[in-house]
Amino acid sequence: METRTFETKYLDKWKSNLDSCIRCGYCYEHCPVFKDTRWESDAPRAKMIMIYGLLSGKLEPSTYISDKLSSCFYCGRCVAACSSGVPLNEIITDAKRDFQGTEFETPGTTSVTNTDCALCLACVRSCPHEAREFISGKIFTDTVKCQSCGLCVDICPNQAVATLLSYGTDRSSLNQEVATFLDKDNAKAIVFGCNWSYFPDLQSSAMDLEKDPEYKILINMCGGRLEKPLLLEPLLQNAWGVLVACCPDGDCEHDGNVKAATHVAGLRELLKEMDIAEDRIQLVQIAHGDKTGFQAAIDTFMETVNQLGPLNPR
Amino acid sequence: MEKKDVLRLKDIVGKKNVKTDPADLYVYGSDSSVHSARPWVVVRPENTEQVQEIMAFANKEKIPVVTRGAGSGMCGQTVPVKGGITLDMKRMNKILEINPSDVFCRVQPGVVDDDLNHALKPFGVFYPPTPASSRIATIGGEIGNNASGVRSVKYGATRDSVLGMKVVLPDGSLVTLGARTRVEATGYQLHKLIVGSEGTLGVVVEATLSFVPIPKFRCLGMANFDRLEDAGAAIADIMASGVIPSMLELVDSVAIKAVNKTMDLGLPEVEAVLLYEADAMVKEAVDHEINAMQEVCKKHNGAGLTSSYDPKERAKIFMGRKKLFPALSKFSDILSSTSLADDMAVPYSKMAETAKKIHEIAARNNIIMTAYGHCGSGCMHTKILMEPTRQDQWESARKAVAEIYEYVRSVKGTTSAEHGIGISKASAFKAEKHDSLDLMRNIKKAFDPNNILNPGKLMDAHEDWVTATDLRYTIA
Ligand SMILES: Cc1cc2nc3c(=O)[nH]c(=O)nc-3n(C[C@H](O)[C@H](O)[C@H](O)COP(=O)(O)OP(=O)(O)OC[C@H]3O[C@@H](n4cnc5c(N)ncnc54)[C@H](O)[C@@H]3O)c2cc1C
Ligand code: SF4
Ligand code: SF4
Ligand code: SF4
Repeated sequence: METRTFETKYLDKWKSNLDSCIRCGYCYEHCPVFKDTRWESDAPRAKMIMIYGLLSGKLEPSTYISDKLSSCFYCGRCVAACSSGVPLNEIITDAKRDFQGTEFETPGTTSVTNTDCALCLACVRSCPHEAREFISGKIFTDTVKCQSCGLCVDICPNQAVATLLSYGTDRSSLNQEVATFLDKDNAKAIVFGCNWSYFPDLQSSAMDLEKDPEYKILINMCGGRLEKPLLLEPLLQNAWGVLVACCPDGDCEHDGNVKAATHVAGLRELLKEMDIAEDRIQLVQIAHGDKTGFQAAIDTFMETVNQLGPLNPR
Repeated sequence: MEKKDVLRLKDIVGKKNVKTDPADLYVYGSDSSVHSARPWVVVRPENTEQVQEIMAFANKEKIPVVTRGAGSGMCGQTVPVKGGITLDMKRMNKILEINPSDVFCRVQPGVVDDDLNHALKPFGVFYPPTPASSRIATIGGEIGNNASGVRSVKYGATRDSVLGMKVVLPDGSLVTLGARTRVEATGYQLHKLIVGSEGTLGVVVEATLSFVPIPKFRCLGMANFDRLEDAGAAIADIMASGVIPSMLELVDSVAIKAVNKTMDLGLPEVEAVLLYEADAMVKEAVDHEINAMQEVCKKHNGAGLTSSYDPKERAKIFMGRKKLFPALSKFSDILSSTSLADDMAVPYSKMAETAKKIHEIAARNNIIMTAYGHCGSGCMHTKILMEPTRQDQWESARKAVAEIYEYVRSVKGTTSAEHGIGISKASAFKAEKHDSLDLMRNIKKAFDPNNILNPGKLMDAHEDWVTATDLRYTIA
């Protein structure tokens, strides 16, 4: 394919913003990409530093850098945490723009469609960012427009959509985490939390506890990308309960919370039919930043779960 | 660095935990200072044994090693001026033990300060040194810099809370320093020496820290002063009155303007604002201290006195201080807030004069500076707001920094209160400690005969901070 030469055309205007980034690192504590790899190079601050390197000629463009800059779920946590008002998401988008069409362009966390695609075009219709297009018999994702919300991944009936770099947010990684946790002695429940809500968990550190914890919080990008089988998986593995946290009505820009609610309602029906207490799976809405509310919701849920006892008495 | 050396490191920590891409090296070459340099390789150890192996190898090959926590230091402490290995400690991030009955906890160095406090909360206690950067700062980095924060006026700096530690020396050997007890008179307190050594003496792989009970009552007050001198006099009087505030913060007019301009908080446009807090287990004790502080403020023409016990109200009052950084960064479209002459400590009686002096020096050198700080512990911070792309502004900054520290020395203050020395404050540090530098060099030699740990810092740093490294900015 024809490629163009890399230029910092869209990035140029951000020079002074990048000068005002004080490189404090406040932006990286909640970044899901950093949380997954724990390498500073994957944190938002590093993205800004790499862009600065490109703008100042101190770094040569590369596929490696493109990969780092295209790995963003647009959760906006970095922007909210920035101590200097740096509009990181806008800058990241412009970086992707400058890389688009060059030999270095990489999909990063963009969702791509593989050959299992049945051409039903459900994903094209569901994309809230108009990032998916049907061109000459194939579906293409615009790496600049895609915000890696994952709705297309969830909606595809053929499981033909995936993100190549998922940083632990894809179904198989989450399933793996569920299995590893539920294998522990004291494990009872899984809490799926959306990256928008503050999670009352240690950010980057870990506890060396004598007793294993009763629940594990698994952070995903949006309640809307939690597929039904994933929500059911913990119960299949004898968890006592599953709690899904998502944003309040009207707060989610991709209406992911509506989808999560539908999934949870469906699964509750299913449990009822199977004569299993439907309260073993619950949905709570947590306002952005309400760390205390989230912890309270988890505590209430754990009370219920402990009253219900094990699903399959072991 | 030769390929075989990288392979050796991969052998020790595993291939996944070594990075050599130019982009990684560029990222790991900077911190929150004005400096920039590149390591040759970034390595992430997972346990003490790996740290020991890395150090033994680096010592044998005489490869520089820079230990790095979150890289939030403001003076270039983790900028690898001589290249070498950057040791990223964030994978050693476990809280190993919380022991409420013996009042200590044991942690690995990569534990984040806020995380530790989150884990301590259910026990009704907190780890008090807590810098403003506690959401990312690691315990290792806080030890390296002897970090402190708003509550250090009452609870002390990192050094006061560290009971002991395990340290890997440059030759790879492991030593246990300090104890688990509140007091110790067992020879040299080497763990206290490691605190504030900026990664030049050893790699901390475990720390034993003490904690204190979370007070049941906290009250925060505010007072406005038309004259900076009055605020300064109030600070000195409060500290001399026998009251022990849990926080005493000064915010000057530049900072107030910045906050008002960007946040519309409607703070009074006065020369200075004082924020004061008291805490205790009984409310009467807090009332007593807050009243005493308000009386002192009144005596020195403090106006608009408010105070509150309500956490939400307190957060509102504190908002202006908390949002100072973004406000300064957004002070003007062309000016950037640089971490220069960033901190110092002066005697209480010199607080106001220091703030005035900072403004005077800034005006003379054609830059903008602000003065604010944890003045209850004598700590004063500034930031230089300048156009970092203009060469002449760096000349001005160089002059201003030198003048400020000359003044600090003249009033018997000290070069750093809590941010440390690194590269940017090295010349001021050397001037202040001129008669003990040789002693410090000998101590360094005893720990690190091959000078592999964080070379080019403190006594070993370049005389001129502007040319010591590449600047992180592009100068036209
Ligand atoms: C916005 C902002 C606000 C700040 N506010 C404050 C404040 O209020 N008070 C304050 O004191 N500081 C403050 N700082 C400075 C800095 O954040 C703190 O000093 C912090 O403790 C540094 O922690 P770190 O993990 O980032 O350390 P780093 O910057 O990574 O390292 C600091 C030093 O410690 C050494 N080091 C790190 N880990 C180890 C280890 N395991 N063994 C031996 N040496 C080690 C390093 O070599 C280096 O010399 C602030 C910084 C920013 C950007
Ligand atoms: S938007 Fe979210 S995923 Fe993207 S860099 Fe910021 S914190 Fe990380
Ligand atoms: S929080 Fe903002 S100022 Fe700090 S490093 Fe991130 S982008 Fe830069
Ligand atoms: S639905 Fe979301 S993940 Fe899929 S292409 Fe659109 S923005 Fe990207």
